[in-house]
Amino acid sequence: MKKAILYKEWIKTRLYFPISLAISLAFIVFLILRLQRVAHFKGVEHIWNIMLSHDVIFIELLNFVPVVLGSLLAIVQFIPEMQQKRLKLTLHLPFNQQKMILIMLSVGFGEILLIYLVNYSVLYTYLQSILAPELTGRILITSLPWYICGITVYLLTAWICLEPTWKRRFVNLFLSCGIIRIFFMNDVPQSYDSFLFALSIFTLSCLFLPLLSVDRFKMGKQDLS
Amino acid sequence: MIQENVIECKNLTHYYDKHLIYENLSFNVPYGHIFGLLGKNGTGKTTTINILNGYLQPKSGECRIFGENIQQMTSETRRRMALLIEGHVQYSFMTIEEIEKFYSAFYPRWEKAVYYELMNKLKIAPKQRICHMSCGQRSQVALGLILAQHAELLILDDFSLGLDPGYRRLFIEYLKEYATAENQTIFLTSHIIQDMERLIDDCIIMDYGKILVQKSVQELMNKFCRYTFSVNQSIGGLPNDSELYNSSVIRGHAETYSFSKADYIEGWLKNCGIEYSEFKTEYLDLEDIFIGLTGKY
Repeated sequence: MKKAILYKEWIKTRLYFPISLAISLAFIVFLILRLQRVAHFKGVEHIWNIMLSHDVIFIELLNFVPVVLGSLLAIVQFIPEMQQKRLKLTLHLPFNQQKMILIMLSVGFGEILLIYLVNYSVLYTYLQSILAPELTGRILITSLPWYICGITVYLLTAWICLEPTWKRRFVNLFLSCGIIRIFFMNDVPQSYDSFLFALSIFTLSCLFLPLLSVDRFKMGKQDLS
Repeated sequence: MIQENVIECKNLTHYYDKHLIYENLSFNVPYGHIFGLLGKNGTGKTTTINILNGYLQPKSGECRIFGENIQQMTSETRRRMALLIEGHVQYSFMTIEEIEKFYSAFYPRWEKAVYYELMNKLKIAPKQRICHMSCGQRSQVALGLILAQHAELLILDDFSLGLDPGYRRLFIEYLKEYATAENQTIFLTSHIIQDMERLIDDCIIMDYGKILVQKSVQELMNKFCRYTFSVNQSIGGLPNDSELYNSSVIRGHAETYSFSKADYIEGWLKNCGIEYSEFKTEYLDLEDIFIGLTGKY
């Protein structure tokens, strides 16, 4: 039965997954080419110098990519469940309902994590070939909150999509915007270093928000159609 | 232990905000029966289905399915129930092959052949997605999926919605054949009464906020009659009587419906001092009974 649930989630995301992977890699490749051009014309030392003297990490363009990818994945996965109140079919299946929703979320979580890991690996492979390990680490650690935010946004969007009433959806959206703001409050590299663990725990706790929406659906909190 | 009733609902009352849907709705669905909840749009049929499936908590009252309170329904009980959602809603992003593969994992008594027997009647490619099918084709996919589950109880919400007469007839014939052969219990709702007398054994006919009647179809067809007669053209309407339903007079042509026999109606007309002629008694089909009970508008 777990395999069947995974199968259904795969069917919903099988088109989105490779496209989002390709788009995210396109951004990474673009950034690499940009860095490579600077390294070619002005030398790698110039990059080192700029990074240390101007507090830049050269990959600021990636800022919102994980957020967009995370929210789109949740939309692709959960809007079909809510169209025509199709969630009734899912909840009627002879399987523990909370466990089933968690499996569905873990599929999306796994897919988005995989995309981010591929992104990170490509970025790491290139950066460590031109930069000192400390500078490579600085770039990757600075971008880590953006990726954690991407996963948080995935869970928050799932929470909004699974919510059965429009009024509450807007409330959830408003709260989610406030939560996402936390991840973008400071542009200074490595300013989130001391919060990374707390942010990760916070993200994991968001895993239970979609379950609240499903509970509300089961309680009959639905818009009259 | 085999329960006498598959579904037991007691004193269900439900409101949407302050709007009463129904009050003290009670009914039992015995094993092996096909039970229809019939009513016009907005009388609470889908509400009842939602309550039965645990998607809605009634304001008061209790429902049990296979003896289990529906608010704490276990996966085992859900496995014994097949559900058809209004509009034949299914995972329309899947193809007919994918959806069969998906559902078969959840039901140990899954009968693939039953599903594909119905699919073979459709002129569709195996790789065609359900969302690209017509309403009639989607209804057959939904029917195939619930029959293949080999469930003991089938709950169907407004299955006839959007179906043309051919698909409706095909749906009913398949359903009746399987339910009878497998001794399955069916609880269904519908606002289209045509063909329903071919299918259901017992029914509740609902009006806004109340139950009009709860009887076997046979009893309804044997007892409920339409009485027509001519009256003086100056009479605009008939007086009210608790035994009569939806009486009307149009240009001297009177009609009323009742469970009472012709003697009672004629006696009542005489007591009211209404002169009449051409008195006729008609036994009705289920659709006319429904109209007689709920009115034409």
